[in-house]
Amino acid sequence: MAAVESKQAQQVFIRPDGKEKVTGVGRYTADLNLTGQVHAKFRYADHTHARITRIDASKARALAGVFAVLTHADVPEVRYGGMVQDRLMFAKDAVRFEGDIIAGVAALTPEIAAQAAALVEVDYEPLPAITDYESAMAPGAQLIHSDWESYGAEDMGRDGNVLGHSTVIRGDADAAMATADAVVSGRYVADASQGAPIEPRAIIAQWQGDKVTVWTSTQVPFAARTGVATVLELPESHVRVVVPLLGGGFGSKCDFHFEGHVAALARAARRPVKLVFSRHEEFIAPDHRREGMAVELETGVRKDGTIVARRARLVIDGGAYCGEGGFFAQMAAMHAIGPYQMENVSIDSYLVYSNNQPSSSIRAPTAPQACWAVEQHMDEVAAAIGMDPVELRRRTLIERGKASATGQIMDEIGIRETLEAAAEMIGYGQDLPDDEAIGVACGWWPSFGVNSGAYVKLNGDGSGTIITGAMESGTGAVMGLPILAAEVLGMKPEDFSILYQDTDAGPWDMGSSGSQTTFNNGRAVICAATEVREQLLDMAEKELEASRGDLEIADGVVRVIGSPDKSISIADLAGSGTPLLGKGSGDVPEAGPSDIASHCIGDLGLTAFLAPQLITHAAHVKVDRDTGVVRVLRFAAAHDSGKIVNRIGADGQVYGGVMMGIGQALTEGTTFDSEGRQINPHLLDYKLMTASDGPEIMIHWEEVVTPNAGPKGSKGVGEPPSVPTSGAVGNAIAAVIGRHVNQLPMTAERVWATSQENGQ
Amino acid sequence: MSATYLAAASVEEAVNALKGGARCVAGGTDIVVGHRQGKKPLPASIVAIHGIDALRGIAAAGAGLRLGALATHEEIESHAVVRERFTGLADASAIVGSRATRANGTIGGNVMNASPAMDTGAPLICLGATAVFQGPGGTRSIAVEDLFAGPGQTVASADELLIAVDLPAPALGTGSAYVRLEYRRQMEIAIVGVGAAVTIEGGKVTAARVAITALAPTIHRVVAAEAALVGTDGGRDAAAAAAAAAAAGSAPISDVRGSADYRRAMAAVMARRAIETAVARALGGQVSIPASTSTFAAV
Ligand SMILES: Cc1cc2nc3c(=O)[nH]c(=O)nc-3n(C[C@H](O)[C@H](O)[C@H](O)COP(=O)(O)OP(=O)(O)OC[C@H]3O[C@@H](n4cnc5c(N)ncnc54)[C@H](O)[C@@H]3O)c2cc1C
Repeated sequence: MAAVESKQAQQVFIRPDGKEKVTGVGRYTADLNLTGQVHAKFRYADHTHARITRIDASKARALAGVFAVLTHADVPEVRYGGMVQDRLMFAKDAVRFEGDIIAGVAALTPEIAAQAAALVEVDYEPLPAITDYESAMAPGAQLIHSDWESYGAEDMGRDGNVLGHSTVIRGDADAAMATADAVVSGRYVADASQGAPIEPRAIIAQWQGDKVTVWTSTQVPFAARTGVATVLELPESHVRVVVPLLGGGFGSKCDFHFEGHVAALARAARRPVKLVFSRHEEFIAPDHRREGMAVELETGVRKDGTIVARRARLVIDGGAYCGEGGFFAQMAAMHAIGPYQMENVSIDSYLVYSNNQPSSSIRAPTAPQACWAVEQHMDEVAAAIGMDPVELRRRTLIERGKASATGQIMDEIGIRETLEAAAEMIGYGQDLPDDEAIGVACGWWPSFGVNSGAYVKLNGDGSGTIITGAMESGTGAVMGLPILAAEVLGMKPEDFSILYQDTDAGPWDMGSSGSQTTFNNGRAVICAATEVREQLLDMAEKELEASRGDLEIADGVVRVIGSPDKSISIADLAGSGTPLLGKGSGDVPEAGPSDIASHCIGDLGLTAFLAPQLITHAAHVKVDRDTGVVRVLRFAAAHDSGKIVNRIGADGQVYGGVMMGIGQALTEGTTFDSEGRQINPHLLDYKLMTASDGPEIMIHWEEVVTPNAGPKGSKGVGEPPSVPTSGAVGNAIAAVIGRHVNQLPMTAERVWATSQENGQ
Repeated sequence: MSATYLAAASVEEAVNALKGGARCVAGGTDIVVGHRQGKKPLPASIVAIHGIDALRGIAAAGAGLRLGALATHEEIESHAVVRERFTGLADASAIVGSRATRANGTIGGNVMNASPAMDTGAPLICLGATAVFQGPGGTRSIAVEDLFAGPGQTVASADELLIAVDLPAPALGTGSAYVRLEYRRQMEIAIVGVGAAVTIEGGKVTAARVAITALAPTIHRVVAAEAALVGTDGGRDAAAAAAAAAAAGSAPISDVRGSADYRRAMAAVMARRAIETAVARALGGQVSIPASTSTFAAV
């Protein structure tokens, strides 16, 4: 195992936005106010599933202080949505979950707006609500979208309430299962959880002529721009989206949501309009949620630990609308096999509609729940053959150069090394008091290769500016871009300013999602900086009368190698009046092939993982046996995210991700009532972990320099840190109480009830 | 009545405002936060009492202690005499919310908010505390035990200002404790809480009080649990019997925080831990504050 680097050896770069955020100087969207602005409120659905028979906004419009009231009748009827176009801005014929919006109001004060929203009259014919999402698949179940066939959609195996169906089939699982020494099966059910960023979202829209500027707390400014242009039927060039500092997102602010509503209200009100969500609204917002999931697993194993076959059936709660989450069925199927070698797999995975809140890309969507199920199951498999669970993983994790369960050849991966590193850091095998134990879990997550762009320009004072389309959601990924530009240009990271989060400035970028910012925008920045470097060298060749091969750029100057007096500063070159501006995008890497994609149902290109990120987590927990309360005492996280380009930033992702994962493991669960309304949409009863709950977290980076990946052989970093966390915690709990808790979160009551069943 | 805000400079001024229909705000951590959460709108007319010096501080009163209504949880949990002789109250104040909540939240607000889940109630009842009010007609004292009338309700009238909470000197050989079930280490709300005070003389329990939190519409004593302790040695068996009685005396509900069955079972666990801690302290043992933390996973 590689030794953990000392703190001094790590590259420490203080992020440029750090000081303003920490000192309170920084401005978030809700902090902005425009002259003449009025305030928006929404009228939400009164039922979670109903036909609308009448909407009358006249009383709301008549209230003094009201500037605009909009319903579906006042905006173009445009269905939209990332993978299935199943949403309208304002509900027209039906409401399908508690957060559906009937009307929007703009008024002089938020209080008047709320009053007016309540005055909108709506008549409904209630329909049966489906909140138990597994029953949505039953024959004859009430359709959530009766018009589903008419929607525009990607090809993902839709059928009524089934929004997506995906299979992963390789070898012959039935035949192989018969050759096993033991067959282990289990059912695991994960409740929904929430992204829960600390900043509830805020939006301000202002029109100037026929162009609108929208300041918004989104993770995806370009998707927001496209969304506004789509629903209001405008050219994209008429829409500018600016994101002030963002107070977190964790995926809940991905996708386009409310910018269109606010822009439409501002147009109707002829005033800038500001919307600020309450915590409750933030909790019930579409796509703020990590999907609930029911996972059934069956694994055949030989006495030597060889996994001969895996069968699985997954049902995933997509909620009332699809959004961009249509890939969940296939993604979850990939996590039902995990980073293990097995020849025979048969996975059936369903994404279904329900009348619950729509779920979307919360940090590594589908992975933590599926991984929690699989990793607990792996410990049960180990127990069935009397093998130590770490030893079982040692024998079954994918070896470098071998094939995954989908037949993808895994060239440069360090999953086995992460297992050893995590086991060593946590002290696996040590004697512990009988109410303490260690659990281990492994997982994986792909990197995403997409187009992305950046400009780099040099200024007359010798500084540089990175103009990027990338989005800083708090991860530090954008803040780390200067490290990459500085290295190419022989400058210091501190020499760069960043112009970002403005769709009129930077080139298109997917946004802060899919752990993709360093991976793709880092590449773009290096390309752009390289173009500027060439421009600098061109100029210096003439100025210094030297040939290119004799020049080097370092310490802010271009100089002739070996003659230090023959040099010219970058400031002098940039100040000469000739613009020094580079642009870049770079070649998007693609995953190597799997050998099964062609015969999988619902294939969306995920049967092979590009530059897979590999993870082993180990948790040391203490269980209060009498109450079932679990405290995580120590935690080890070993990651192969390829080459690490910004150590302090990468470590930060692990600290935060592990805390998020521990929350999802123990206390963070959304409970719906029988109609699909959240019972705990607030921070008192939706229990995030606090700083006091943080265990000691030890980190190891297995820096496998990865070909066909991000800058310098890096992979993504942001999502994996909460993938195997709950699995590790679950295995540790089971090691204390003698049985696995098969519901997530593993709340105190569930741990207590499970140990009661076990007669402890 | 039109909306008003008055920052009162004296008790008299505050009582006058209450008489005129205003409601008071101390630290605001219940009333303002509750308003923002949409639980209950702010009263139209508000009298802020944070500037009334006479309501501040913790002082000796005879052999006992007087807590000014504005004493914060932070002041209470760090007060040497509270920690030494009214330890159960320190256990409670030390776990209220977060550091920020404890710095702003007052004992007066905690008591008068009268939540069945509030933390200082059970230890105050076990320690025999009385609430001292000033109204238009003068002052009166009400035992905290008799104060709570229902969730969010007390028997005090709307124009009475709580000015202090009096703690009588505990009998020699008394120990007290408050323990609550906590899913996480901070920012919790009582799902189950139990306070206990036990007096031991010559190896026998001569007096005991046990009160339960978040297990009924009001915080209240469980006499059967107390009876199960008096006359015993206060050992494990006695504590277990009393804990079972405390659980039997509870009327828990099922909600998102826990089922009634779980809460009843936890009532017994928390009661046993509170009683054992109170006994240990009565015998001169050191169990560190807060007891909820130091008894975690105690078997
Ligand atoms: C994040 C958070 C966590 C919390 N955690 C806990 C916890 O763990 N345990 C717990 O018990 N509480 C908790 N609370 C609730 C609250 O902090 C406490 O109850 C606190 O003691 C209230 O005091 P206050 O001065 O802020 O009350 P205020 O909000 O000012 O007042 C509360 C009520 O009491 C009335 N009142 C106040 N003072 C007087 C007086 N002198 N005379 C008459 N009436 C009066 C007010 O009119 C109001 O109805 C928490 C609150 C928050 C926001």
